[in-house]
Amino acid sequence: MNDATAIRTDAATFEVVKNALYAAAEEMKIVLAKTAYSPLLKVAGDYSCGLFDADGEMIAQGPDLPIHLGSMPDAVKAVIQAFGTFEEGDVFIHNDPYFGGSHLPDVNIVSPSFHKGDLLGFACVRAHWPDIGSATPGSYGAVTEVFGEGLRLPPIRLYEAGVLNQGVDAIIFTNVRTPDERRGDMNAQIAANRRGSARLSELAEKYGVDTLRRIMVEVMDYSEIMMRKFLAELPDGEGSFEDFCDGDGILEPGEEDDETFTIRMHAIKSGDTLAVDFTGSDPQVAGPMNAPLSVTASGIYTAVKMVVDPNGMIPPNSGCWRAITVTAPEASVVNASFPAPVVYANHEMSHRVSDMLFGALYSFLPERVMACSQGTSSVLTLGGIDYRSGEPYVSYESIKGGFGARPTKDGINCVAAGISNMMNTPIEVLEMSFPVRVEEYSVLTDSGGAGQFRGGCGARRVWRVLGNVTRGAVCCERSKSPPFGLAGGQAGSPMRISLEDPDGGIRHPLSKGAFTVPADGRIVFEVPGSGGYGPASERDPASLADDLKNGYVSEEAARRDYGIKS
Amino acid sequence: MSWRVGVDIGGTFTDVALVDEETGQIGIAKVPTTPRDFGQGVVQALTIALGEHDIAASNVSLLSHATTVVTNAILEGKGANAMLVSTKGFRDVLELRRSSRSSLYDMFQDAPGLLIPRYCRLEVDERLDAAGDVVTSLDEADIDAVIAFAKDNEIEAIAVSLMFSFLNDVHERIIGEKLRAALPHIPVFLSSEVLPEIREFERASTTAVCAYVGPILESYLRRLEGATGEMGLPGLYVMGSSGGVFDVGEGLKMPAMAIESGPAAGVIAAAMIGRQLDKPNLLSFDMGGTTAKASLIKDGVVETTSEYEVGGDGNANRWMNGTGHPIRVPVIDLAEVSAGGGSIAWIDPGGALKVGPQSAGAEPGPVCYDAGGTRPTVTDCNLALGYLDSEALLAGRLAIRADKAMTAIEEHLASPLGIGVDEAAAGVLNVVNAAMAEALRIVSVERGHDAREFSLVAFGGAGPMHAAELAAELGIREVIVPPIPGGFSALGLVATDLKRDYVKTHFISLDQADTDAVSAAFSEMEASAQRMLRAAKIPEQDWVLERAADLRYGRQAYELTIPAQTGAVTTETLDQLARLFHEKHRQTYGHDNPDETIQLVNLRVTAIGRFENIELSYTGKTEGSSLKGSRSVWFRQGGRCDCAVHDCARLGIGTEVVGPAVIEAVDTTIVIPPGWRARMNPTGHILMENDNE
Repeated sequence: MNDATAIRTDAATFEVVKNALYAAAEEMKIVLAKTAYSPLLKVAGDYSCGLFDADGEMIAQGPDLPIHLGSMPDAVKAVIQAFGTFEEGDVFIHNDPYFGGSHLPDVNIVSPSFHKGDLLGFACVRAHWPDIGSATPGSYGAVTEVFGEGLRLPPIRLYEAGVLNQGVDAIIFTNVRTPDERRGDMNAQIAANRRGSARLSELAEKYGVDTLRRIMVEVMDYSEIMMRKFLAELPDGEGSFEDFCDGDGILEPGEEDDETFTIRMHAIKSGDTLAVDFTGSDPQVAGPMNAPLSVTASGIYTAVKMVVDPNGMIPPNSGCWRAITVTAPEASVVNASFPAPVVYANHEMSHRVSDMLFGALYSFLPERVMACSQGTSSVLTLGGIDYRSGEPYVSYESIKGGFGARPTKDGINCVAAGISNMMNTPIEVLEMSFPVRVEEYSVLTDSGGAGQFRGGCGARRVWRVLGNVTRGAVCCERSKSPPFGLAGGQAGSPMRISLEDPDGGIRHPLSKGAFTVPADGRIVFEVPGSGGYGPASERDPASLADDLKNGYVSEEAARRDYGIKS
Repeated sequence: MSWRVGVDIGGTFTDVALVDEETGQIGIAKVPTTPRDFGQGVVQALTIALGEHDIAASNVSLLSHATTVVTNAILEGKGANAMLVSTKGFRDVLELRRSSRSSLYDMFQDAPGLLIPRYCRLEVDERLDAAGDVVTSLDEADIDAVIAFAKDNEIEAIAVSLMFSFLNDVHERIIGEKLRAALPHIPVFLSSEVLPEIREFERASTTAVCAYVGPILESYLRRLEGATGEMGLPGLYVMGSSGGVFDVGEGLKMPAMAIESGPAAGVIAAAMIGRQLDKPNLLSFDMGGTTAKASLIKDGVVETTSEYEVGGDGNANRWMNGTGHPIRVPVIDLAEVSAGGGSIAWIDPGGALKVGPQSAGAEPGPVCYDAGGTRPTVTDCNLALGYLDSEALLAGRLAIRADKAMTAIEEHLASPLGIGVDEAAAGVLNVVNAAMAEALRIVSVERGHDAREFSLVAFGGAGPMHAAELAAELGIREVIVPPIPGGFSALGLVATDLKRDYVKTHFISLDQADTDAVSAAFSEMEASAQRMLRAAKIPEQDWVLERAADLRYGRQAYELTIPAQTGAVTTETLDQLARLFHEKHRQTYGHDNPDETIQLVNLRVTAIGRFENIELSYTGKTEGSSLKGSRSVWFRQGGRCDCAVHDCARLGIGTEVVGPAVIEAVDTTIVIPPGWRARMNPTGHILMENDNE
C-alpha cells in the first residue's frame, strides 16, 4: 500500500480531527472516573471508553485498559444487530459474553451519537461493576455455567428517546448487591457517553457530517497502514509456546487439587501480517476459565502493540488489527462455546496469551520481547455486613505484581502489566469504606526472577477482616506455573494465598473460588514477581549490590541464584 | 519613588521586571541564566537592572522571585539524602504508588523515579484505625533506630508519614519531637503538618518531596537572601505554585509550594492585566521555544488544581498517573504541550503531518539559524510564510537564512506530500495551532467553560504570532498582547499577593457534620494563618482569609472545591455548601443528584496578605508613523498578499492597525490576519479584535 493514499483529507485537518477524537474518548474517561461511585471505577479505573462509527467499528479508545481493545467493537455491533434503528436519547445496556460482552461484571452502556438528526456513530463505556448478582458477593464464584455467574443482559434499550424503561431498570437493580452504588456507576457511564456524543456533534458542526464520517474511516485506515508498515520492518519467522494454567477453580469428584490445563500457541510473522493459532489447546473446562475468542484476541493485540509499536505511534482502533489473525479451536479454553462459564478467563486468559506471545516470538525477535509479567489480575472480592453501619458491602481489589524484565532493562516492581492498567485502592480509602484493616502492603523480597536483567518484584498484601465474618473470593493464576524468564533468565515467584484463622489455623485455598473468613481472620496475598531476562551470571555487580542494599534480593538468594560467595 | 522588583529565572534568560508603584512605569533587564549557580545570575541581573534604571536599593519596596531550584532538583535527581519513616508494614508506600503504569504499550518504559531509596525507608510499630483511634501504640524504641540510622547514613532530611495521621497526629507529633531534639540540624517534615489529607501515597509523596528538596531550597534561599540583603534590598519573597508569594521562612516549612514557580508567575501577570483592563475572564497563553502553556482566569480568579505530579513525563496529559511525584498542594491549573518555535515538523509512516515532540532547541536551533539544523521547525515555517522577518529576527543579531528554511520544508514536507511550500508550512502551523488549542480547550471547554466568553492573553516570544489563529479556532473574539510579552512572567511576581494554603481532612457526611467541630477546624487553620501573616509583617487591614470545603457525593472518589462563608458555621452555612456543590457538579459533569448524601472531605483556608494593586502605564511615541514597510505574507484567508509591517515602539496610543499586518517588537512579532484590527491602548497593551462574523 502506498503511504499517503488511504488518507484523502488534507494531512493537517486529518491530524487535528484525529486528535480531537482521541481527546473526546479521554474526556469520557475523566467524566466517568470523577462521577462513578464504586472504588473499582473511581479510583482503580477498571473500565474503557470508546467512540465508534455507525457500523460499530472502534474509531478511538481512551487511554484505558488494553484488555478491551479487541472486544469493545463487538459490544457496539451487538446493539446495532439487535436494534438497527436509533433515536436521540436512546441508551442501551448489555453484558452477555455470548452477545458481544466479555464477562458479566463488565457492563456495556452504548449510546448513539447524533448531529442534527444524522447518526454519526456510538459512544460506549464498558465498566466493571463490583457486583452483578450470582451466589457470591462480587460475582467471582467458581460455577459451571454462565447462568450461575450473575444477571445476564442481552442488548436492551434502557432509555428510549430519553425515557427510562422502568421495568428493565427494576430487574437490574433488584438483581445486584448494593444497588445504590451500581446506579451511581451506571449514571456515570451514561454521563460519559453523553460527553463523547457532544464532542462528536461539535466536530460534525465544525467540519461537516460527511467530512467527519470520512475521517472516522480514515483514522482506522491510518492505523492499519502504520501497523502493516511496522510489521513489515520486522524479520519474518515463526515460533511456538506452550504453558499451563493452575486450574478452573472446580474440584471434580475425586480430585485433591485443581487440575491444570494446557494452552498451545503457534505464531507466524510474514511480511506485513501476523497469524496466531491455538491448535492443540485444551477443550473448555468446567469452571469459569474459558475465554470468548474476542477476549483471547484482546490479549494477543496488547502484546502485538507492545512488540510492534512500543513508542505508541499507532492510535488504538479497529483498523490496527486487520493485519492480525487469531484462530482457535471451537469449544476450547481460548474460544468458549455457550454456556461455558467465563468470568475468570476475561483477565486471566488474556494475561496468559499476551505473555505467551512474547515467548512464541522470542526465537526470531529476541530484542523486541519481554519476559513474563505477573500474569494474573490477583483479584480479591469481599462481601458481608459492615459492623460499623449494619449495611451490606462488596469490595473488589486487584493487586499488581512484577512487570517483566526487558532485553536491556530490569523489570518494574509492583505495577500493572500487559492487558491491565488498574490502580490500587488507597488503603485509607479502603478502610473507611469497608470493614478491613490492611496490615502490610510491601515489595516482596526475592520475587523478581534472577537474570542479567532482574524481573520486577511482586507484592505482599495482608488484610485483617473486622467485626463480622466475610465471604471472600479470589481469582488468581500462576501459582503452579510461575512467570517464565527468557534468554536464560529465571522465573519469578509464584502466586501464594493463605487464610489465617484467629485460632492460628492456616488454610491454602485454590487460586480461584469463594471461601469464608471469620472476624479477625487474615488473608495474605503474595502476588507473582516477573521473569528475568538473560543469565543471572551476567548481572552487573553494581546492580546486584544495589538490589542487596535495598533488600530486593536477599543474601541467600544472591548466593543461590547469582553465585555470590560471602 | 518606590519600586517593585521581580526576578524570573528561565531556561535561557533571567528576566527582571521593575514597576514604579506610583506611576506604573515598567523597566526590564535580561541576563543569561547561570545554571551552575542560579543565585549569581539573579544578583547580576538585579545589579544591572537597578543600575540601568538608576534605582537605589533603598527605593525597592518589594523583591519577589520565581525559582526553578526545586523543580530542577527533582528533574536532575540532585535532591537531599532523605529518609522516610512509615507505619510498620508500609515502608514501600512511595514505591507501590497507585500501581498503574503511565504508558500502556511502551515495553521499554522506565520504572518511576524514587526520591528515597528503599534502604532509607524505616518503619515504626504503631497503627491508627479508620476512625483515628490508636490500635497499636507507638513503640518509641523504633524512633531510636531512626535516629541512629540518620546519624550513620549522613541523612540530610526526614519525612514522616504514618497511616491515618490526617485524623490524629499523636504518633507523628511524638516522633517529630524526638527527632528534632536528637537531630537539631536535620529538617523533619511531618505529613500531619505538611498535608493532613487522606490518601497515604499522595500524602507521603508530598512529604517526601518536601524532604528531598528542603535542604537545597534552604541553602539557595538563605544565600540569596544574604546577597540581596547586602545590596540593601528588602526581604525576599518567593512565588509559589498556587500563584501567591511567601517569605523564606514559610517556604522552608513547605518546600513543595515552590514547584512551578515561574509558570505560575505568568498566569498571575495575566490576571493583573485583567484587573487593569477590567476583563475578568481570560485565557492565558504562554508560548516559548519548546513548550506552550495555557491557563484559565474566571471572574478574576486563577484556577488551581491539586492533582499534580512533579518530574516524570510532564503534565500535558494531566489525567494519566505518570512517572512523576504527586504533590497535593494547589498548583495553578496549567495545561502544557510540547510545542514551541523549535518543534520539528515531520511526516510519519502513515502519511500524517506531525509537529514535535522533538525540538531543535537552542542548539542547533531552526534551520534558518544556519547553525546545523536540517529539519524544518515551526519557526522556519513562520519565516517561510512571512510572519517572521529575516532581518528583525533576534533583532538582526543573527544572519537568518530564509532560503535554507524553504529548502528544508520543500525536501522534508512539501515534496513527500506533493504540495507547495506555502501549503506545507501552513499545514505545520495548523497542526501546531491545533495542539495548542487543545491545551486551551483542556483548561476551558473540558472544565465546562465556554472559551468564547474569554479574551486570550498571549505572551512568551512566540505567543503573539500564533494568538489570532488560535483565538479564531476557539471562537475567541479578542486577543490581548501585554507590554514586554517576552519577560511578562517577571511582571507577575510583583503583581501578586502573599498567599498560603492550609488543608485539614474533616471526613463526615455533610448532613451529620457538627457545626461547632467544623467551626473549630476552620478556626484552628485560621489561627495558623494569622500567625503566618503577622510574622510576614502584613498590616492587619490587608489580611484576607478565605474558606472552602472539598465535597463529593458519598460514594464518589473525587471532590469539588466549594467556597464557604466566613464566621461561625451554622446549618445555614452547610446548606449553602450543599446547594453550591450540586450546582458545580452539574456545571462540571452535566448532571447532579440532589437526593444524594454529600460527603465532606477536606476543609481549606487560604490566607492572603494583600499587596496594593499596581497599574501599568505607557508613554506612547506619537511622532511619525509606525509603518516601516511591507513584505509578502501568506494568510489562510486568501494566500499571499503584500502586508504592512509596523514598528511596535513607534505605535502611538490609540493607533489602529488593520489586518493583514505584522507588528514587530523587540521580543516578539504580532500577526494580525485579515479581518482583525489591533489598537495600542493607553497602558501599553495591544488589543486585537476579530471583525469576521
